[in-house]
Amino acid sequence: MNIPKLAVDWLDNRLGIKDLIYQNMGGYKLPRNVNIWYTMGSVVLALLGLQFLTGIMLLVYYVPDTEKAFTSVTAIMNEVPYGWLFRYLHVVGSNLIIIFMLLHMMSVLFMGSYKRPRELTWISGFTLLNLGMVFCLTGYLLPWSQLSFWATTVATDAAGAVPFIGEHIVAFLRGGPSVGAPTLGRFFALHVMVLPLGLMGLVGFHLFCVRRAGISQPPFGDSYKPRLFGEGFEHEHHPDGVPFHPNYTIKDVSMVFFALAALVAISFYAPWLFIPPEALVPADPFNTPEHIKPEWYFLWAYQTLKIFPSKLLGLAAQGVAMTFIALLPFIDFGSERRPFKRPLFLTCFFLGTLLFVGLSIWGHYS
Amino acid sequence: MNEVSESNKQRRTFLGILLGGVGVVLTGVFAWPIFRFLAPRDTGGAGAQVRVKKNLIKVGGAHFFDFQGRPAVLLQPRAGSFVALSAVCTHLGCIVKWVNDKGEFLCPCHGGRFSAEGLVLGGPPPKALTTYSVKIEDTDLVVG
Repeated sequence: MNIPKLAVDWLDNRLGIKDLIYQNMGGYKLPRNVNIWYTMGSVVLALLGLQFLTGIMLLVYYVPDTEKAFTSVTAIMNEVPYGWLFRYLHVVGSNLIIIFMLLHMMSVLFMGSYKRPRELTWISGFTLLNLGMVFCLTGYLLPWSQLSFWATTVATDAAGAVPFIGEHIVAFLRGGPSVGAPTLGRFFALHVMVLPLGLMGLVGFHLFCVRRAGISQPPFGDSYKPRLFGEGFEHEHHPDGVPFHPNYTIKDVSMVFFALAALVAISFYAPWLFIPPEALVPADPFNTPEHIKPEWYFLWAYQTLKIFPSKLLGLAAQGVAMTFIALLPFIDFGSERRPFKRPLFLTCFFLGTLLFVGLSIWGHYS
Repeated sequence: MNEVSESNKQRRTFLGILLGGVGVVLTGVFAWPIFRFLAPRDTGGAGAQVRVKKNLIKVGGAHFFDFQGRPAVLLQPRAGSFVALSAVCTHLGCIVKWVNDKGEFLCPCHGGRFSAEGLVLGGPPPKALTTYSVKIEDTDLVVG
């Protein structure tokens, strides 16, 4: 008696799972020239799963109290068996997620995959990137180190530039006039409950959009032709394509393992890349350390605030840039997706990337 | 044709076993740190002695304290004579209370009663309270 086969047959008779698996695996066809840039989403998803696991592990010992938070994190690092491993994986993993999210976004931009009918996929993805950064910001405060305390002070202070209500926004974010126990309480609640729930819902919606619209044909090679859309909904089929499984899943798994190898390598050999010396000193609200800087992915915003004559202008410039990126599918709505047939877009793409990198480096050394 | 199928079958079986083996090893590699992380930490409590100030225990009175991570109680039934017992009821693990008037322990959960020596006087407890050795060292009592 083959018990697994019996169990599968039992489920299949009731839910038709064999058909469902076939429709989404072997029978689901992707374009033949699908490339590794299409695997970035899977890599992010795998890393997010790992963040959930390591986050739950850290919750076992972490104490969200200003008097005990730093001690509990120190105990996780030095006393709890393998505590250092779970914390490093969590810290390094969060940075890798931002890196892979950015790569995902840039490949989607380069290949014009944000265009109709994928506007909602783009907006939900861009919101996920921002949610990821809020995740990092809230998690940054939790160890209650000098770095946590002052980076959060600087980050929340930026909201003070909003005219008339800026001060109130800052106080609302912090739960008081300055960063303290109420800030830790609300950041902790956001980090472990509100944001994970929001993220799960949004990831679900993003994947739903991806599956409903179908995988876009990479805009390269002679076979590519810009697609024209009618009025109604149309799933992008690739009848001559390759099956999702195993052709694409192999690519996916390879890239996930590559990312995991990078995660483990950095966690083992260079965790200090993301844990500077200020992170090893408990928070002191009366002593600001010199050269306090936000995390690398906020450096562009930090430097923007510094180069504009007023904080409000800097904040407005950031707002305009972010809104422009979010609404790009509605601004750049032509059907052409081949990068080299879109010279204006390509120029903006490279200049924008250079600006992001340049501002970040400037921010780091300023 | 059949030979090829048979060869394919063997290859599949071999790859299946290989993959299963790798899976088992990987599971072990990941499961071990998780198990060690979650396992209760050895705080060096087992076998450790606890010092309690002698003047904290009045004659006829009881003093509760932590002994190797579990609640325990010290009594002084007669002047200069000390008894140390586990305060965990042997029935379902509730913490017993000292009833001064009666000179006995009462478990508030199911009414188990123990004597000042830890012996069962009544109720559901199946056995006596665990006793610990007590030594007098100057102004301290050393339990364990």
